[in-house]
Amino acid sequence: MINTSKIQKILTATLLFTFASLYSSASFAGSTTYPLTIHNCNRDLVIPEKPDSVVTVGQNSTEILYSLGLADAVKATSLWFSAVLPAYADINKKIKMLNVNQPSMESILAQRPDLVANDLEWSIGPTGAIATYEQFQSFGIPVYTAPADCLYKDNLQGGDGLRTRPFSMDMIYLQIQQLAKIFDIEDRGDKLVASLKEREEKAKEEVRKLPRKNLTVVFWFSSAEADIDPYVAGDYGAPAYMSKILGLKNIVDLKNEWPTVGWETIVKANPDVIVLADMDRRRFPMDDVKAKEKFLKSDPILKTMTAVKENHLVTMDAQAMNASIRTINGIETLADAISKMDFSK
Amino acid sequence: MKFSRNFGLAFFSFFVVALAILAGAAIGEIPIPLTTFIKTLANYCFGAHYLVDTIDQKIIWELRLPRSIIAATTGASLALCGVVLQSILRNALAEPYLLGISSGAATGAVLVTIVGVGGGLFSISSGALIGGLLAFATVAFISYHSGRDNMAIILAGIAAGQLFTALTALLMWIYGDSEVRGRILDWLLGNLSRARWEDVFYAIPVLFISLIGFLSFARILDAFVFGARSAESLGISLKYVTFFLISLVAVITAVNVSIVGTVGFVGLVIPHAARFIVGQRHTRLLPLTAFIGAIFMVCADIISRILIHGFAIPIGIVTALIGAPCFVFLLVKRK
Repeated sequence: MINTSKIQKILTATLLFTFASLYSSASFAGSTTYPLTIHNCNRDLVIPEKPDSVVTVGQNSTEILYSLGLADAVKATSLWFSAVLPAYADINKKIKMLNVNQPSMESILAQRPDLVANDLEWSIGPTGAIATYEQFQSFGIPVYTAPADCLYKDNLQGGDGLRTRPFSMDMIYLQIQQLAKIFDIEDRGDKLVASLKEREEKAKEEVRKLPRKNLTVVFWFSSAEADIDPYVAGDYGAPAYMSKILGLKNIVDLKNEWPTVGWETIVKANPDVIVLADMDRRRFPMDDVKAKEKFLKSDPILKTMTAVKENHLVTMDAQAMNASIRTINGIETLADAISKMDFSK
Repeated sequence: MKFSRNFGLAFFSFFVVALAILAGAAIGEIPIPLTTFIKTLANYCFGAHYLVDTIDQKIIWELRLPRSIIAATTGASLALCGVVLQSILRNALAEPYLLGISSGAATGAVLVTIVGVGGGLFSISSGALIGGLLAFATVAFISYHSGRDNMAIILAGIAAGQLFTALTALLMWIYGDSEVRGRILDWLLGNLSRARWEDVFYAIPVLFISLIGFLSFARILDAFVFGARSAESLGISLKYVTFFLISLVAVITAVNVSIVGTVGFVGLVIPHAARFIVGQRHTRLLPLTAFIGAIFMVCADIISRILIHGFAIPIGIVTALIGAPCFVFLLVKRK
């Protein structure tokens, strides 16, 4: 006697398997056709075939590749401002570091990469410090640059470039999706973007519940010297995006990324929250987050600010304050810290 | 007899400089076998068809060789400019950047990159070239209206230099932030990695035209050294000669700044080193200065690339670092 339930089971299993394999073949292989042309940083970038190896110039591009599970393809990296995200510490140890700062063109070429993933047009771009796009192209190596550095940003008009529109996480999402497309893993890219958007939404929700609305904030990155005017976040960089998403108001409304603003202005604006950048860099004494805190609490004028008196100080990873995948972490840090503060006084 | 000896010396100098340039192309940050290097040269120069790794081949031909040649032309040009200025102004401290050109070049570079003058039409190099020449025009204008003597030229150079430095600082302060300032300073600090074949094609003619130009004024330059009166006794209009020679110096310096940025030491010290060796006669002094400048700069560049692994030290640091002790040695030995 034939066991119908068994047949049913087999049939279901076969069907499921077929669907699964169909699904996976559709999503894991062959959705990108090469040569692939994508519009990147005001030019059409042609990727002749799926890259096996990539050299990164910039921490953010590297961390995005790690997040996409592409660590194996990363042959060497360079230009880092802080320690790697803890989740990738082990992976990162195995990757060759060409130079913590700008690497030379020769050292990149020596790795024979199929692709260079670049954070800043300052490094590789129309007037790049390492080389231009054309120079790499003459070696047959395409250079993909983070859209956050050139979308609505004119790098020919400014060493750091002047943004003509504020930064938004959409630029990072575009970078993730384009890199995923280049490496033919579009589904992984979509998943990563979805999870980041979910985290953004959650942080938003956390702050929305707070009784006080319209909190004001200032982001202090560093200062060239202790008493000198500090570098604070302007209205066009990643911190401005964080403020917008969380419904805060950045007291600095200059259309730059990191302008210098006098303490006078900051004290007068008396922000509800002060965000302090935490970084490994020690170029200036105020790079140290502890030095910033000490300075705020000891300076006779600065310590009169409500945020200092109430200790409404938030320590944030400096890398999150630069346009990067870590900007999401920054949003979470800020939302978390604010939701625990008491603004009743 | 004398002609053939001079010709022989010139030929020998070219040969040595060429050897140094080839060494500069063979030695670099990443090790490339000597056989690959020789095959590459054979492929490009004699149309041979050796199978060589294309990337290695291009590194040698597209990156290192033009860089090495530019090092030589820059070294020679700056040293020549130094000699001429020191002789005309009769001032041992005169150097090519005295004419405010490096400050003006900085202002030009900042205007193009940070402020966006020209809307991307100008490169940072052409901005630097125009800025440098404008600064020199300022110096010429000031000194024309302030006595036209040596002191006037030197002081006008100082005034224009300060003015343009302040302008640069102001522009960076208004338009840039901390990173930008650091980057512009890097750009100005002398960097040969930007050198390409296109640069070679205008650096070499500029060098040879200036060498021939200066050589044809060699006797007058000799006279300058012994004072303005002895120059006038040759029956020449000092005013025009001074203006012509200084303008030539300004153009050459501005061209070099626009290619490599500011490289200190070479234009100030190499001329003195050459004087220690052959004395004041410009027919011998000028070629020797150019020769030492070229060799010195190529060697400094090689050292800058291999001293610390994976990290090219700015050429200006290396020139002073190895040049100063060498110069002190010559100075002591002279006594």
